[in-house]
Amino acid sequence: MKSPYQILGVSEQASDAEIKQAYLQLVKDNPPDRDQQRFRQIQQAYEAIKDGDSRLRYALFHLPSLTFDELLEHAFPQNRVAHAMPAEDFLKLLTSVASDKLPFKTQVKAS
Amino acid sequence: MSDIIIGIDLGTTNSEVAIVENGKVTIIADAGKKILPSFVGIGDGGEILVGETARNQYLVYPERTVKSIKRLMGQDAQVVMADRQYSPQEISAVILKRLKAIAEDYVGHSLSKAVITVPAYFSDAQRQATREAGEIAGLEVVRMINEPTAAALVYGAGQSEAKRMLVYDLGGGTFDVSVVNVQAGVVEVLSSHGDNHLGGDDFDQQIVEHIQNHLREQHGVEIEGHGKAMARIVRAAENAKLRLSDEPFVQIEEEYLLEHGGTPIHLTLELARSTYEDMIADYINATMDATHIALKGAKLTATDIDEIILVGGSTRTPCIRERLFDEFGFEPHGEVDPDLCVAMGAAMQAAMIAGQSIDTVLVDVTPYTYGTSALGYLDGMPYPYQFVPIIHKNSVLPVRKSEAFMTHQDGQRAVNVRIYQGEDPDALNNIEIGEFTIEDLLDVPAGNIITLTLDLDLNGILHVSAREKASGMEKSITINNAISRFAPEELAGAKRRIEGLFGEEGAETDADRSESAAAAEARNLIKKAESLFDTVSAEDKEDMVDLIETIMAGLESGNDAALREPVERLNDIIYYLES
Ligand SMILES: Nc1ncnc2c1ncn2[C@@H]1O[C@H](COP(=O)(O)OP(=O)(O)OP(=O)(O)O)[C@@H](O)[C@H]1O
Repeated sequence: MKSPYQILGVSEQASDAEIKQAYLQLVKDNPPDRDQQRFRQIQQAYEAIKDGDSRLRYALFHLPSLTFDELLEHAFPQNRVAHAMPAEDFLKLLTSVASDKLPFKTQVKAS
Repeated sequence: MSDIIIGIDLGTTNSEVAIVENGKVTIIADAGKKILPSFVGIGDGGEILVGETARNQYLVYPERTVKSIKRLMGQDAQVVMADRQYSPQEISAVILKRLKAIAEDYVGHSLSKAVITVPAYFSDAQRQATREAGEIAGLEVVRMINEPTAAALVYGAGQSEAKRMLVYDLGGGTFDVSVVNVQAGVVEVLSSHGDNHLGGDDFDQQIVEHIQNHLREQHGVEIEGHGKAMARIVRAAENAKLRLSDEPFVQIEEEYLLEHGGTPIHLTLELARSTYEDMIADYINATMDATHIALKGAKLTATDIDEIILVGGSTRTPCIRERLFDEFGFEPHGEVDPDLCVAMGAAMQAAMIAGQSIDTVLVDVTPYTYGTSALGYLDGMPYPYQFVPIIHKNSVLPVRKSEAFMTHQDGQRAVNVRIYQGEDPDALNNIEIGEFTIEDLLDVPAGNIITLTLDLDLNGILHVSAREKASGMEKSITINNAISRFAPEELAGAKRRIEGLFGEEGAETDADRSESAAAAEARNLIKKAESLFDTVSAEDKEDMVDLIETIMAGLESGNDAALREPVERLNDIIYYLES
């Protein structure tokens, strides 16, 4: 499976603007009216990494071999956090990011 | 040569057809006129009239003329024209057929495909009805695109810098507002909002009511019910409105409007622009509210917008431009004729689909949230109809989303799935657009997983499927608003009927031409019921015979309204017998 970065042909360090540029170029070459499958793939890749929030979310769920330190580094890159964060806050952050990514909600269907 | 696909703006008050030739967009004129009024009528000799002629006869023969049919699209409604009933799809098809003929005349050969624009805020049912109108007119609707998006395509083509645009589209019957990003040859809609029943027709109606009040107070007459006088007032109101876009006062005059107590009544009334602006203030406020909702949907504020594009004839109203100026701090654009812009965009998209070179690519979104209901919580209390959104508004099209659910009873063999459009956490406050039941589930304990998939296509039409995970059994439907939808046979019948109106070969004879879709459906149903007679119980048969008699009586008297109830009951019986 290709990663969204690979689909859009950008590096993991790419800026919002670079990602947008790459997305638009691909859309221009693959209009939704021509090949919906391909367009959807490009669109989904873009949505997965279009801004800082979505990239963080993507990182949290697609790098399972990460160590805790690496995870922290992804969550708070470039030393934006000067000191370690209490474990409880970090967990809260994780669950808030995680809750809308769960494979399915166990909602019960009314009959 | 690749097939030519025409672009059509099927408007509430005006319609246009355009094509791209040698990379250039042309609005095709008919006898020098680029705009075809969306009026349909039956002439003195029983011939069909479309456009200007129908519009002119509206004053004299309102009972044989239909206007603004787009407002009824997607509803279970019939209009009467010269004593016969027609569905909104059929009347729209008459307009489409005329546009098709205008284009065929121009290119010199027959054409069969079109891109038709619809208001961005058109619902699923309204889109379905538009596609059916195309089919009845003998046009394959290869794509429906949103009107403001079509306009953005025209403005966005050839744009070199990146820009954020607000498209404010106020036509005769509908209002749409979209926030669009134009960059690197892509017109990307970020959000849309609107109102399906807000437009210039409502402004006319305000003036009509003002005139009615005046007549009541000054002359003590009730004009309602005087068809011809009403038609003249409607026309006078629209003319007054148009003039108020240029002048601060207008004089409304209609001599010999009607007789009252043996004396003729002449209408003279002055209307000031400021009075008129007060009358429509609520409507304009509603458009501004919608504009802010669209901005919010795009996560932008007024200061992020670089340009405003005005689309639709009603944007010529000066106070609209003033309001937008106040909100955004700069003058809106309107270089491309606001009435023609949408048809041009439709033709450009048509050319792209037909395989001509593409300069600009469209990426559009849905203005609606779609979802289902499930057992859940509302305000902390258990509630059976909690709304579960699945496709969120402003999602890029096409979009497919799934959600998993579980049965809640042991041995539950069936699940009823309802699909809603809206945002309210209580599903019952949203619009139910369809439902179906998935039956014969495995006999297993509670917790049987059902996945529900919603698929919204590029036309904004929703396809739904549900699947039992364990068995792989699947059930799918295209949401059809059961009330407005035509069955395939009915569609063919409608097509023949409309061809008949145009006096085309192979069309129906006079006798069956005088039948409405409802009557045709009733006859089909009777045939079906009779075919089941051999297999049903005596009791059921008796019920069916009774109903058939009632339906026959209704058919004889030509009263379609009387058909509805017995047809529905007979349908139910047949459904029950067949399942
Ligand atoms: N100068 C004007 N001032 C005010 N209103 C105008 C003016 N010119 C046209 N209109 C109004 O614009 C409306 C028609 O606009 P347009 O042709 O863009 O709409 P449409 O495509 O028929 O409608 P819709 O897009 O809502 O289906 C009519 O209500 C008409 O009265």
